[in-house]
Amino acid sequence: MSPTGKGSDEHNGKISQEARAEIKRRSAEIGRKLEAARPTLQDRSQSNGDRQNASHEAMGRALRLSTELIGGIVVGAALGWYLDNYLMPYLFGVKTWPLMFIIFFLLGSAAGMLNVVRSGMKMKTGPSNPSRGRAVPDDDDDDN
Amino acid sequence: MMMTIIKGSTVAAEGHGHSPIEQFEIRELVPINLFGIDASLTNSGAYMLLALGLIFSYLYFSTGGRSLVPTRLQSISEILYEFIASTVRENVGAKGMQFFPLVFTLFIFVLVLNLLGMIPIPGVTFTVTSHIAVTATLALLVISIVIFYGLYTHGIGFFGIFVPSGVPPALLPLLIPIEIISFISRPISLSVRLFANMLAGHIALKIFAGFIGLLLGGGIWALLAPLPLALTVALTALEVLVAVLQAYVFAVLTCIYLSDAVHGAH
Repeated sequence: MSPTGKGSDEHNGKISQEARAEIKRRSAEIGRKLEAARPTLQDRSQSNGDRQNASHEAMGRALRLSTELIGGIVVGAALGWYLDNYLMPYLFGVKTWPLMFIIFFLLGSAAGMLNVVRSGMKMKTGPSNPSRGRAVPDDDDDDN
Repeated sequence: MMMTIIKGSTVAAEGHGHSPIEQFEIRELVPINLFGIDASLTNSGAYMLLALGLIFSYLYFSTGGRSLVPTRLQSISEILYEFIASTVRENVGAKGMQFFPLVFTLFIFVLVLNLLGMIPIPGVTFTVTSHIAVTATLALLVISIVIFYGLYTHGIGFFGIFVPSGVPPALLPLLIPIEIISFISRPISLSVRLFANMLAGHIALKIFAGFIGLLLGGGIWALLAPLPLALTVALTALEVLVAVLQAYVFAVLTCIYLSDAVHGAH
């Protein structure tokens, strides 16, 4: 905050009293904001900095991906099967087997892959990324 | 020699304690009948009550002192609190802290049940979370809270999470069903993940531990018995890791799903 204040002071030597007060007020405000943000930042990095956590976390996330894919496919296939055998005959009196099953199986596979991609993206740019950015390289160096 | 082992295994299976899935059997302890509903206390229910008692008494007595410089027990409680609080804050945001009690309860309940299942007591040990009925109930609880809270705060706009942003309208008829299936698959993958991990881990442990006895009873093959013993020790360590990890994964996913309900569509 102070470099900015100094810089603007040096650039226009004949700075008005009013502008000076304005700059002072702004720098104080920035300082206050920084102070307010600091505890939460520290809190985050502390909690995440626990040494073993990061590698365990990574393993947990890896285990997650397989079920994400299977979950999507199973739900899609089950929905299609239900539509074919119960809902379509009940609503419209037509037997659509295996049309809906095939369509929803494909949709379900797409949903499963979407799940995998999503949780993969969350690993990279999740909400907890800023703090993890520092914690991970350190841990990797220690562990490997 | 091989025949001896096979014979030994059938004898053992007919006896007791060697069937790898026997440990998941639900046994009735106290028969209770509530208005025609079988509400008997089973070994599963007893383990849950035990976990509740342990969690409550531990947290109650360890934080009872409230000393400024925490004792060892108190600092473990505080670490647990901090850990879950930061998980919720990072994944849901400050607004999500109203769900902290829910996430903390789920995490510690699953964690203690997983770990209790790792304590071997012959004929008694039971892993509650290795039953999909339990994990699916927890997952359904989470997803119903997400849906009800989402509808409560965002009204009908909550369904906007099914409409991906920045997509040509022509693709929406294809993408909305995919999003809906993806949403429905959440409670399934949430419950199956926990249940399958615990089930598979305990079966593997039991099978490898069973090999030790079989080899010991197989004459010269007894020389090989230390191999499965070493593997069982290693697997036990891995299972403890999985028990903690899965409880954590359950809590994190709960947070991620809750953040949809809190923040709505983007």
